Amino acid sequence: MRRRGFLVVAGRSVMAVLAAMLPFGFARLMSPDVSADTRWRLRPPGALKDDDAFISACIGCGLCGEVCPPGCIQFYAHEGGSKVNTPYIDPAQKSCILCDKCMEVCPTESLTVIPRKEIDMGIAQIDQSACYPWVDQGICGACVVVCPLGEHAIGFDFANFYKPLVREGCVGCGQCVEVCPHPSLPIWIVERSGGTVAKHGAGKRHQWIQ
Amino acid sequence: MIRHLNKLRWLVLSIVFAMLIVLPFIHLYQTYIAAHAYDLLAPAEKQIYDVMETLTGPFVSDPETDLDAIKGNTWSGTFFGYRISDPLAVVSQSAAGMSLYWPFILTGLIPLILTMLFGRFYCGWICPATFIYELNTNLAVLLHKLGLHTGNRKLDYRFKYLVLGVGLVLSAVMGAVLTAVVYPPAIIGREIYYGVALSGYSHVVLGGFGAGAVFFISTLLFDLFVSRRGFCRYLCPGGALYSLLGHFRIFRIQRVVENCNDCAKCNAVCEFGLDPLRDGFGQECNNCTACIAICPTDALKFSVTIKDQPFQGVGHLGKAYKRHQGQDESK
Repeated sequence: MRRRGFLVVAGRSVMAVLAAMLPFGFARLMSPDVSADTRWRLRPPGALKDDDAFISACIGCGLCGEVCPPGCIQFYAHEGGSKVNTPYIDPAQKSCILCDKCMEVCPTESLTVIPRKEIDMGIAQIDQSACYPWVDQGICGACVVVCPLGEHAIGFDFANFYKPLVREGCVGCGQCVEVCPHPSLPIWIVERSGGTVAKHGAGKRHQWIQ
Repeated sequence: MIRHLNKLRWLVLSIVFAMLIVLPFIHLYQTYIAAHAYDLLAPAEKQIYDVMETLTGPFVSDPETDLDAIKGNTWSGTFFGYRISDPLAVVSQSAAGMSLYWPFILTGLIPLILTMLFGRFYCGWICPATFIYELNTNLAVLLHKLGLHTGNRKLDYRFKYLVLGVGLVLSAVMGAVLTAVVYPPAIIGREIYYGVALSGYSHVVLGGFGAGAVFFISTLLFDLFVSRRGFCRYLCPGGALYSLLGHFRIFRIQRVVENCNDCAKCNAVCEFGLDPLRDGFGQECNNCTACIAICPTDALKFSVTIKDQPFQGVGHLGKAYKRHQGQDESK
């Protein structure tokens, strides 16, 4: 009898816990995964390196987006899965101006204030088979002109004045992507480990930082 | 004087809700200013710019920085330099990250102290969802008068503590702040922001509304057809946290038995289904003062005490008490 009573209590507890999970299940059901290409979405500057740590640190309050002067920070909706309500920047739509406001306003660990030179949102990558100056010796240089970090981040090739080359100082803000006039966007932000940079010109990144 | 606290409460609720709508527009206005390109704005955007300029012009000199004074929502925000976060956000994030990040935890300190003093006051006085939920209750009353069946089931109050516990455990397991997904004030804050400020990208009116809005509407239907104010009473994880924190609150509503006439209007008006008529307040009471406002004989008042009174018997102005007195005198 005692065992029977224990089983009843245990069964009821399990049922109650399962019922308490229902709201979370409903919320999950209402936000199904849909296919969206989220590969090129960047985290805001000052974000934690590990994206899992970023997701667990971010509470989804939207403050970073609300202080952003260009309004470049958007938020994952249902297409983000577990990234839902966390911020991202799509430089093709609107890019970061490195104003540091989001880092300052974030209440959590997810965005912390770091010096501008140590920001690492990624690194620009140029497709030399599509970029106007690289392909047909055209005159462009928009990415070099707009870069807020100057020639430490992107500069012209030594031989031709208008062939852009990414250098180690690039922090991946994406203003070059926003300004690029080519419809196929031959310049894009990739992870720092996956990018190639000019080996000449301004020296290596760590030397520049110090 | 104390009877008018309920009107003050509605004023506060309206202001908080209006701020949640205005702040995204302020952000839009600031982005337009930062762009320095009024002539390139679309006609609708120019309208927003002009209206916001008219509204904020008298108060700020440099909108781009001065309007940063109030930002965010009730989930987390900055208020004239002070960062204030919901205690539920702090607890959930600590669970999700399995670590304590003190700069963030300290932002929850002021609400925590206020909750320990005033109990569940957030649910009655600030929560932007309460504003809609109470209007929803009024709608339920209206539907009831029209003869439609509205639900008024009683469930178990303790269920929301289980929801809170399960939410924290799930947050820790999944490594994401999951309570934010089912917490109505957080949902409302960010959905209004998405709807107003981010819909421009999709070029669809109100294109920013997402799954959270669907969830919130389903809770409204739950309140309407299953249980009056049911989500707050039985399911809300934030309400559970505040109830626990407010267990030993020192500001409580108490019944003055000498003034009470047993009319039971307080029980009828109580959004949380409590029992003020029989001194049954407990930790669920959110000090919303609706019962004080409706009491015809001023029999409910605020007291500074950490314990509720036990049942004091029937009210001294009521018929039952007079009959009782009459019997005593005849003996």
